[in-house]
Amino acid sequence: MYQTENLHLTSDMKISDVILNNPYLILLLEHFGIDVPLQDKSVNDVCLENKINTELFLTFANLYNGVQYNFKNTFTYLEVLTVVNYLKNSHKYYSEEIYPNILSIIQQMNSVNNMKEMALVEKFFNEYFSEVIEHLNYENNTVFPYILGLYERIINQDKAVGGKQYSVSEYQEHHNDIEEKLNDLKNLLVKYLPMKNDQPIRRKLLFSLFELEYDLNIHSRIENLILIPLVAKMELHLKQKK
Amino acid sequence: MTRDIHIIIAEPAAIIFEGLSAIFFRSGLKPRVSKADMLDEILQLHLRRLADIVIISPLLIQNNVKSYHVLKNQLENTQWIGLVYAYYDPSLLALFDAVITISDAPELIVTTVSKMLNSVNPKEPDVLSDREIEVLKLLASGLANKEIADKLNISINTVITHRKNISQKTGIKSVSGLTIYAVVKKMISLENLAD
Repeated sequence: MYQTENLHLTSDMKISDVILNNPYLILLLEHFGIDVPLQDKSVNDVCLENKINTELFLTFANLYNGVQYNFKNTFTYLEVLTVVNYLKNSHKYYSEEIYPNILSIIQQMNSVNNMKEMALVEKFFNEYFSEVIEHLNYENNTVFPYILGLYERIINQDKAVGGKQYSVSEYQEHHNDIEEKLNDLKNLLVKYLPMKNDQPIRRKLLFSLFELEYDLNIHSRIENLILIPLVAKMELHLKQKK
Repeated sequence: MTRDIHIIIAEPAAIIFEGLSAIFFRSGLKPRVSKADMLDEILQLHLRRLADIVIISPLLIQNNVKSYHVLKNQLENTQWIGLVYAYYDPSLLALFDAVITISDAPELIVTTVSKMLNSVNPKEPDVLSDREIEVLKLLASGLANKEIADKLNISINTVITHRKNISQKTGIKSVSGLTIYAVVKKMISLENLAD
């Protein structure tokens, strides 16, 4: 309950105040596909305008603000499209923006600090980046289509057993490594890697890593706390109908 | 990265308990905090999870000095901090290892508690032992846990324990991250790396 100095969000707050209080929420808006400028709109106005369940928005936003108490996952299959869409947008941010951005900073750092350790860091990150891409592709190409298939079947009251056998529980195992290596890199940069003319660029790199970590952390909490229970409910619903 | 800190707050008033908990949480100490309303409860809480520190209102011991001494002997490695919000006889306050006052600034409270904690668990320096360095070198050269175990003539569980300690001390978990660490620390040279 004492996680944060940040606001606990409610639907009548002005969304601009919310963003100015914690600028990381800009990413939340982007992942939801909500554009700025926001004028004087309240959280509720923006959600209505963008056809997003306000409760869902508040839950995500409060996760960003580090507030998680009294968490009840009462969302139903009706929200699953919004959740999947949100996650897809954040995948796009990872694969097309932040990871390539970090890679290019590492390359710049490598050209300034041309010590042999930096070459290893670049190799480390390249390998890590491909692991991440592989994971994102797995979610985009296997997990999400599976979930959308369940949704279609519920909507169409389709009792037939669909597609291949798969369950969302298989997918729970997957993430941790992604955050682990990010953390390793931060430790190397802050504690161990010798500095050589690279101060401003190392700072830039660290800031980008923290930005990524912040978003990834919320991302996996959304998957674990909201998406997976929601999909498990849908699986159960379909099973009972058979 | 040491184990969780456990603080027992022996103080009947909820508002004081909550206030202290909030101060500790925000300080970064993030201890586990338990509430005891009476002297007797402290031992039970301690047995469930060893207490590093007990913060206690002198009210609870004023007429129980004897049981306080017994308890203090039972909790060998625990520090006792008096929480003072009224006038008490100095001889009573002398029974505590330290004292915090209700009007103390949060920073001072945290400093007092941290000082006590350091006297309980002096921080081990994050230096790798010779054995850990050996394990790390083999790990960086591309060997699996089983191979390291065979080579050093130790069990695979011992290798895993060494790896855990290495990661805790360095803050690095992945093998590739640890390899970079080993190169930076000149434990291995680039030529000895796998692939």
